[in-house]
Amino acid sequence: MTTTQALVWLMAVGAFALLLRRDGIVPARRALRETGGAMLRLLPVIGVALPMATLFAELVPPDVAEGALGRGSGLVGILLATTAGMLLPGGPFVAFPLVLGFLAAGAGPAQMVALISAWSVLGLHRVLVWEMPVMGRRFVLLRLASGAALPVLAGLLAEALMLGFPALEQPAFEWSRSAVLPGEHVLR
Amino acid sequence: MRRFLARHATLVVLSCLSLSAGLAVLALRGEAAVWRALWAALDLAIFIFPVLGAGLLLAATMRQLLPEGALSRWLGAESGLRGLLLASLVGIFTPGGPVAAFPLVLVLLRAGADRGAVIAFVLSWALNGFQRILIWEIPMLGLEFSLLRFLACLPLAVVGGLIARRMPASWQPDPR
Repeated sequence: MTTTQALVWLMAVGAFALLLRRDGIVPARRALRETGGAMLRLLPVIGVALPMATLFAELVPPDVAEGALGRGSGLVGILLATTAGMLLPGGPFVAFPLVLGFLAAGAGPAQMVALISAWSVLGLHRVLVWEMPVMGRRFVLLRLASGAALPVLAGLLAEALMLGFPALEQPAFEWSRSAVLPGEHVLR
Repeated sequence: MRRFLARHATLVVLSCLSLSAGLAVLALRGEAAVWRALWAALDLAIFIFPVLGAGLLLAATMRQLLPEGALSRWLGAESGLRGLLLASLVGIFTPGGPVAAFPLVLVLLRAGADRGAVIAFVLSWALNGFQRILIWEIPMLGLEFSLLRFLACLPLAVVGGLIARRMPASWQPDPR
């Protein structure tokens, strides 16, 4: 377990202790039951999503990941990633594995920030399936117009903030694309 | 059969995607690449599952700590930058997917929030809603990347709200 993972556990246990102290045993038990239920629902989904991510990383041509969307791609890469994010269908179970695959194949973190932001704010399929029927066309137009520039801004801001995140200098998962035998790849 | 498919739609779609990706890798990159990818997936799984448990526990606990209605107390006819900041903050702590957040917009409007605050709330929830970060982003992409994206997106909901206030389009809540 890494330090960051331990940190997330610490936060979870701390919040749980707070809930137990503030509201007693019943909500605490409900939270545990929800955690278990969500775990059971998510395990098979993630079990299938992970091979999808790593297989996808093998398919991404290196010149796309490291070139067009790579660390040095700057604003052009951010615009490209924004477009990709807009068109990306599906929920988090598709988007996050794909981003993981892109990162593993050498894409830049700032470009991936733009991709996730575009998928969250401008994702077309979400707009059509959820927002249009509930909120109506005018609201959707107002929100899209207000949010249109944000993914690009997020990418540029992330690019500026990258200096404060030396851990992101290395690719998220360093497994060699070149001839390496199974099991020889290195994790972090 | 049909009911099974409908119930497990996510799983079925993902399985089809994984399978076609696997076949494509096999055809284009060879068998060794398929094994390499599958081993990498196993490695990732070992890395992800411990933190996934923590993410799920934290998300479920936060849902219990912040019952429905607790958030709407914070929203009202606050105008100016303060209203936008509050709306962004509430957006981050709003649980759930689209079904949960859009009805909250109506609560916001009833409380007298202006157009900018409503847009800031929806954008903040879409960009930085805690549930997706805890359950998907931190386990899959790591804490550093999640923090980078969170910080980069943090001020943007307010920016979106400011833009919305200046939009010429007139949007009034649907009386329905």
